[in-house]
Amino acid sequence: MLRKSKSVEKGSVPAASPVSMGEKTIISEKISIEGSIQGKGDLVIDGSVKGSIELEEYHLTVGPKGKVEADIHADNVTISGRMTGNINAGCKVEITKDADFNGEIKAKRISVEDGAYLKAAIELEREPQKKAVPIGKPAEDKASSPEKAPITLVSEADKGN
Amino acid sequence: MAISTNQLWEDPSLEPELASYTSNVLPLFVKGLEGREELQALDVGPICGSNITFFAQRVKRLYVCDMFLCLDRNRRKGLPLSRVVQYLDYPPKSFDGILLWNLIDHLNDIEVRRVVKLGEKMLRPGGMVMVIVLSEQAIDQPLNSFVIEDGFRLYLRPQPHLDFPFHMRQNREVLALLAPFTLVKSFIYRNGIREFLFQRD
Repeated sequence: MLRKSKSVEKGSVPAASPVSMGEKTIISEKISIEGSIQGKGDLVIDGSVKGSIELEEYHLTVGPKGKVEADIHADNVTISGRMTGNINAGCKVEITKDADFNGEIKAKRISVEDGAYLKAAIELEREPQKKAVPIGKPAEDKASSPEKAPITLVSEADKGN
Repeated sequence: MAISTNQLWEDPSLEPELASYTSNVLPLFVKGLEGREELQALDVGPICGSNITFFAQRVKRLYVCDMFLCLDRNRRKGLPLSRVVQYLDYPPKSFDGILLWNLIDHLNDIEVRRVVKLGEKMLRPGGMVMVIVLSEQAIDQPLNSFVIEDGFRLYLRPQPHLDFPFHMRQNREVLALLAPFTLVKSFIYRNGIREFLFQRD
C-alpha cells in the first residue's frame, strides 16, 4: 500500500490514519485533520479537513460526507460535500447536487449540477487561442426562427404615455 | 404603450410553450455590460453550469448566490422567508449586472421590495437588472431554471426539489415594485413569459 507525500502540521486523528488505495488517498469519515496537506496523488476527503490542500496536477474529491474548510490548489476538484474556502484549479471544478460550497473558484472549466448550493465568486480562465465570445449579438438560432416575434410591452420612451 | 397581458392570454393562438424561447432581454443585458472595466455580475439562481460558463466568459468575476435554495433552506428550518435577503450580503456598488430571473415570482411584495432595495445598493451606477415574470400558466408548473444554450435561447428546466408559492403579478405591479430602477425594455412571449430589463440611474 502506498503512502502519499503528506504533511500534517497539527491535527487530531481520532481513528485510523488516512489510507491509500492505488493512486488515491482517502481521508475517511472519522478522520479530522487541521493543517496543510501536500501531495502527488489523488485525494478523497470523506472526513473533515481544515487548512490548505496542495495537489497540483492531481484530483481532489470532497465526498458527500466530507467537510472542508481550506484553500485548495489542485488540477481537478470535485465537491459533493460541504466546503468553505477558495479553489484554484488548473483544469476543472465539478460541483455535484449534494454540494454546499461557499467561497471563490478559479478554474478553466466548471460544471454544476442542479440542486447544489453555491455561494461563490467565479473566475474562469479564458483560453487565449479562442476567439473572444461576441458580446451583445445573439447567435444564429435556427430553432427560434419559426417563432413569432415577442411583443414589446413597454419601453422607457413609452412610460407615462 | 403598455399592452395588457390579459388580452394576449385570451388570444388562442398564443398557447403556452413552457419549454424554450429565444430571449430578447438577455442580449441587451449582456450588451449593457459591454465595455465596463472589472466587470462583475450576480446570478441569484437557480444556478446551473451552463449559465455560469456563459457569464463567466463575459465578465471578470461572476458571483452566484442561489436564493432559491436559500429560500428552500429557510422554509425547511421553519425560518421566515423574509430572512432570505440576509444572504445577499455584498458590499455596495459591487455589481454591473444582476440576474434576478423569476425570483420575484416566489416572493411577496414586501420581500420583493427588500430585494430591490438591496439590488439598488449593490448595483453600480448604470448597472442592469434582468427580471423574468411568468404568467398564470406557470402556477401549476414546477419551478424552473432558465438555462442558457445555443446563443441566447433559454430552456426552462424543472427544479422538482424546489416548490414555493407563486405570486402572479400584472405588469403595472411589477413596474411599481421595481420602481427604484428605470425600465429599459420589456417583452412578452407567446408562452406568456415576460422579460424586463431595468437600469440603475
